[in-house]
Amino acid sequence: MEKLSEIQIRQGLSVFTNLTDNKLLTHLNSCVHCGLCAESCLYFLKTRDDRFTPAHKADIVSSVYRRYNTVTGRLFPKLVNAREMNMDTASEMVDLLFGACTMCGRCTMHCSIGVDIGFLVKTGRSMLSNMGLVPATLQSTIKAALESGNNMSIPVDELTSTLQWMEEELTDEVNNPEARIPVNEPGKNILYTLNPREPKFFPLSISAMAKIFFAARESWTLSTRMYDVTNYAYFTGNPGESKLIAARLWQEMDTLKAGKLVLAECGHGSRALRWESPNYMKAHFPFKVETSVETIARYLHQGRIRLDPEKIRKTVTLHDPCNLVRNGGIINEQRYILKRFIASFVEMTPNGADNFCCGGGGGQLAMSEYNDRRMKIAEIKADQIRKTGARIVVTPCHNCVDQLTQINVTYKLGIQVKTLAEIVADALILE
Amino acid sequence: MANIEIEGKIFDVDGDGFLSAPETWNEEVASLFARYDGIPELSDKHWAIVRIIRRNFIEKGMAPMIRTICQETGIKLREIYELFPLGPARGACRVAGLPKPDGCV
Repeated sequence: MEKLSEIQIRQGLSVFTNLTDNKLLTHLNSCVHCGLCAESCLYFLKTRDDRFTPAHKADIVSSVYRRYNTVTGRLFPKLVNAREMNMDTASEMVDLLFGACTMCGRCTMHCSIGVDIGFLVKTGRSMLSNMGLVPATLQSTIKAALESGNNMSIPVDELTSTLQWMEEELTDEVNNPEARIPVNEPGKNILYTLNPREPKFFPLSISAMAKIFFAARESWTLSTRMYDVTNYAYFTGNPGESKLIAARLWQEMDTLKAGKLVLAECGHGSRALRWESPNYMKAHFPFKVETSVETIARYLHQGRIRLDPEKIRKTVTLHDPCNLVRNGGIINEQRYILKRFIASFVEMTPNGADNFCCGGGGGQLAMSEYNDRRMKIAEIKADQIRKTGARIVVTPCHNCVDQLTQINVTYKLGIQVKTLAEIVADALILE
Repeated sequence: MANIEIEGKIFDVDGDGFLSAPETWNEEVASLFARYDGIPELSDKHWAIVRIIRRNFIEKGMAPMIRTICQETGIKLREIYELFPLGPARGACRVAGLPKPDGCV
C-alpha cells in the first residue's frame, strides 16, 4: 500500500487547527463510552460488529486528534489510544466513515450526553477529502457537478427538450395551455430547482410540481443555467467545493431576481442549501428559501390547492428523509399534507425525527464499493415498510426514492414509491 | 471490482453489478443480467430500450435522457418503469452494459 505524503498528512490534520469556534474540540473530547449509540445505528443493528458502533467511528477521528494535538498523545500515544495518521488509519477511516455511515444523525439524537457524532464523522470525511482519499465514485459525482453545472452532466439542450416534452404532457393532461413549465423567466415569485435525476430518468416529478404550481396559480420559473439542488460535496465535508456548488444557486437567484428559492424534494440538497449554505458563504441569505414540502403545505393551508380524498384508495406510508426530517426539522408538513387526502395513512415505527434511514444516505447510493452493505442494512427499512401493510411509500427525497425502489425489488415488497409532489399531483382538483 | 455468476458464467462488475468492461457486452450478457434482476425474458420493447441506450452510449459516452428513449422507441414513460422495475439506470442501463451513471441513481 502507498504511503501518505507529508503534505497529505498535514492537509488532513489541518481540520483540527483551522477552527472558527470550539465546537469540534468540545465534541472530540466528550464521549463517555456509554455505548448507547450502538443500537441507534443501522450498520451495528444489522451486523452486531463493534467496529460499526457510532462511538467507534467518532473515536477514530478523536484518536488522531489526540496523537497530534495533546501533550500525552504526543509523548505517550499508546497510553491514551492515540493513533498516527498513516495509510492504515486512513484506510480504516475510509471504510468506517464513508463505507459504514449514512450520516443519518440517529446516533447523535440518541447520544446520552449530546455528542454530535454526525459532525465528527463529517469532520473525518473532511480529513479524507483534504488528503484526496474520497471514494472515486463519490468524487466523480462532485466532479461532474463542478465541471458541467449538474451532477449528471446533462447538456442544456437535452434539459430544455425534456422540459418542453413535460410541458406538452402537462398541457395535454390538464387541457389548458396555461399549465406551463416556464424557463429562465426573470422577476418571478419562485425559482424552482431540480435533482438532475428528474430530467435524466424520472421526469414525472417535474410535471407533478408544475401541475401543483399551475393549480396554485403561482408565478414561477426554472433555470436551465443552474437548477441542480444536490450538493455532493456536503457528503465529503469539503467546504470549498460545497461553497462553489451552493454559490451557483445564490448567483442564479440574483440573476433572475426571483423572490424565493424553492428546493426540490432532496434531503441532503435541502440541508446543504437551506441550513448550511449561509455558513459556506459566510453571509445571511439575501433571498427567501423553502423546501417544496413546505410550499405544498402552505398552498393547502391557504386554500390555494384542493385535493380529492377519494382519489388515492391504497394504503400509504411515509418515509422520513433523515436530512429533511431529523436534521432539518421538517416533520409535520408532509403529514399535514397526506392526512388531508389519504384515507388510509399508516406511520412506520419508529417515524419522524426517530426514523430509520433508508440506507442510501450520506452518498451511499453513489458509492458502488459498499453496495452489498447498503442493501444489507436496508432490510431494517424493508421490515418497517412491510409491517405497515402499505402499497404506496411516499418520500420527499429523490435519493430515498431510488434506495426504496431497490429495496422494493430486493426484498420483494410489491410497493409503489412516489415523491410527495407526485401523489399530491395525482389528487389535485383543478377548477 | 467484484464478480457475479449467472447461470455458470462469471462477469467482472462494479459493486453495484454494472459491467466493468462495457465493450465486452453482447446480447447474451443482456439476457443474463435481466434474468438476474428477475426479468425472465427480454421482450421486443425491452430490446428496443436496450438498443437505444447502447447506441447513445457508443455515440456520446453516456446514457440517453429518458426523453430520447421514449421518443425513439414510442414506449410510454410509465411503461418503461414497469418494464424495468429497478428503473432506467439500475435496471435498463445495467442490462445494456453501461457503467453506473453518477448522481442519485
